[in-house]
Amino acid sequence: MALPKVYNWQLGREMDYRFANGPAKRQFAAVFNTNRCIACQTCTMACKSTWTFSPGQELMWWNNVETKPYGGYPAHWDVNILELQEKANPGGQVWDATKKDPKNAPYGTFAGKTIFETADGLTNMVTGYLPPEEDWKAPNIYEDTATAFSKTGVSLPEHAGWFFYLQRICNHCSYPACLAACPRNAIYKRAEDGIVLIDQSRCRGYRKCVEACPYKKSMYRPSTRTSEKCIACYPRVEGTDPLTKGLPMETRCMTACIGKIRLQGLVSVDANGQWFEDRQNPLYYLVQVAKVALPLYPQFGTQPNVYYIPPRWAPRDYLRQMFGPGVDDAIAAYTNPSRETLGVLQLFRATQKIIFSYKIQPGPKTGEINVAGKVRELFNDTVIGFDSNGNEIVRVTVDEPLIERPAQVTMNTI
Amino acid sequence: MRIPTVIRRRPITAGVALAVLLTAGVLQFVGVNPAASQSATLTAFESSTDPGTDPASPAWKKAPVLQAPLSFQGATYPTGGGSIPTVSAQALHFQDRLYIRLQWDDATKDDTTTKVENFSDAAAIEFPAVSAATVPSICMGQASSGVNIWQWRADSQAGLKDPADVYTNALVDMYPSKDAIFYTARAAGNPYADPNQGPTQTLVAQAFGTLAKANVQDVKGDGVYADGKWAVVFERQLTGGDVDQATFTNGKSTDMAFAVWNGSEGDRNGKKSVSQFLKLSLVGVSLTGEESSPAGWIAAAALLVGFVGLGVGLGWYGYRESKR
Ligand code: SF4
Ligand code: SF4
Ligand code: SF4
Repeated sequence: MALPKVYNWQLGREMDYRFANGPAKRQFAAVFNTNRCIACQTCTMACKSTWTFSPGQELMWWNNVETKPYGGYPAHWDVNILELQEKANPGGQVWDATKKDPKNAPYGTFAGKTIFETADGLTNMVTGYLPPEEDWKAPNIYEDTATAFSKTGVSLPEHAGWFFYLQRICNHCSYPACLAACPRNAIYKRAEDGIVLIDQSRCRGYRKCVEACPYKKSMYRPSTRTSEKCIACYPRVEGTDPLTKGLPMETRCMTACIGKIRLQGLVSVDANGQWFEDRQNPLYYLVQVAKVALPLYPQFGTQPNVYYIPPRWAPRDYLRQMFGPGVDDAIAAYTNPSRETLGVLQLFRATQKIIFSYKIQPGPKTGEINVAGKVRELFNDTVIGFDSNGNEIVRVTVDEPLIERPAQVTMNTI
Repeated sequence: MRIPTVIRRRPITAGVALAVLLTAGVLQFVGVNPAASQSATLTAFESSTDPGTDPASPAWKKAPVLQAPLSFQGATYPTGGGSIPTVSAQALHFQDRLYIRLQWDDATKDDTTTKVENFSDAAAIEFPAVSAATVPSICMGQASSGVNIWQWRADSQAGLKDPADVYTNALVDMYPSKDAIFYTARAAGNPYADPNQGPTQTLVAQAFGTLAKANVQDVKGDGVYADGKWAVVFERQLTGGDVDQATFTNGKSTDMAFAVWNGSEGDRNGKKSVSQFLKLSLVGVSLTGEESSPAGWIAAAALLVGFVGLGVGLGWYGYRESKR
């Protein structure tokens, strides 16, 4: 019997998945700007100190930030999956960037096989592997390790010696591999926000999800013999945190971000996880309109929902492998952002409440800069963010306001 | 969401069927009940002493042994297992309780699940629930006919430990709280995460993937590992605690199946070695003084002959396939 067919818009084609589409309505999604991350790990500690500080969770980092290309938690997770997939479909894991459609195949069409399609459907529903304990023990190994040391220094567009930080949480995938692999159906995806959860009363620690998740974001907890994973801080997303008085709120790892690299929200989706047009939702704008943010390893086929603005200085072939064929356009759109993109980027970490829509008020021209041979005009536009009820929650300008301190200030004032 | 059924399976051709028949025939001929056939019966005699849950109890010396062949589980995802070829089963009843003893060869004792790559040795017995309308599917029952599963786990018997208890030199800054609520699965009532659950779990199921904790946890058990063998005893009242469970009556027989998991092979869930349905028959007769017959040896010899037969059958099948 054949598996149900589902549509994966990130791959621009139908694919096999264990289950037919469920009734998704809204989807948890986020944009991470890799260019701004300073690897301070504040996000990592925000998650740890909220959810994973108890016995048995010592090796568990639902949020982690690793240094690419050598770092990985668990060690070499992505290289291992890529290798398994390459072995299953030698030479075939390629994209056809010509078969493109703005809505149904924005990055082209993936001609290779997903992790669901290389599995036999009997011993495994998903191609994967179970990283042994050793692989989870050094979450930040190869921190700040560059590929080379350049005596002459480096310059854009591609640095001769390079590394970048990759921030990772569970992608709350539209087609979760963890969910497809669970023989007990103990994993479920919520229709109201697309958050993927493991039912802790039903999990029997088979670790098929740990084996299957290509991002290795389902983790084993020996003190309960079950698997646990990022819960997308669902009480905050639901708006039950007292701080926002019922309004949906961004997660701990998002709101704690020092580098202001993260913006998270909820987008309206159809059963395929395809985004309904919502032009003024900042995530919709960044992912679907500006196409400045891309999914992580879309070729795995889970339709992940964390989108990355790729680092400007890393080799493009490496980035294309990681984020798909949309990389060159995304970097171009980030290097010389439009007025609107620049405005929306100001919303990152401007508020803890989830921004459901934004408006840009044009401001005066403030200057010109030359970036990568292009002269760009700068405008001090104002961007306004609105909550789920359409009320204004934040207002920021492109130019950071200059605040002059009085000559005499109290001690310890920064 | 729909759950697809079995995906790909090649038709069993006449060659294999013939080999299976041959095996069964040979086993019948040598006078041993092949557990692979429907007629294999494990008789539970009345014990004159309380066998308890100690597998070394002398009460077992006289109880007849049924060698149940086990095989790879190939009916549903995740398929696998097959590393434990056979399990020796014995049964007794004493007063109002039933005792079943299982023994199998396993070169490694896998009773810790501290590391993500560790899986536990385990064994289970499946019976139709009292409420079952018909004989349930051996594969975890079906909606109208549930099954009652008694599972013993080596890791549960060894006890649930925090990693810090195992890695005693590990440095941990602090645990803000060790309150049970922070052991999420435990707080959610998961029997597997309950340190007080003991080595056995009383479970019920009505289909693949529906295995759940029974309302009444009334199966007790204990296992001992020695000389490359696990021996495990299950004990329960003859009358089940609930309609979801099995009940046993003197003079009657019931269907029964075994499963064994080999932790070092990564066995868990459907990845296990399974038997066919056998019969468990309770008789109101006490065992006499004689020692158990060498039924095990006879069965082993018969099995050898059987496997040769199967081999010949498969060889012929392969030959025929290659000619196609
Ligand atoms: S808090 Fe932000 S800047 Fe710091 S490591 Fe995390 S993502 Fe990067
Ligand atoms: S990232 Fe992994 S754990 Fe998270 S939803 Fe996707 S497959 Fe599941
Ligand atoms: S969303 Fe919440 S649970 Fe998930 S990684 Fe971030 S802080 Fe942790």
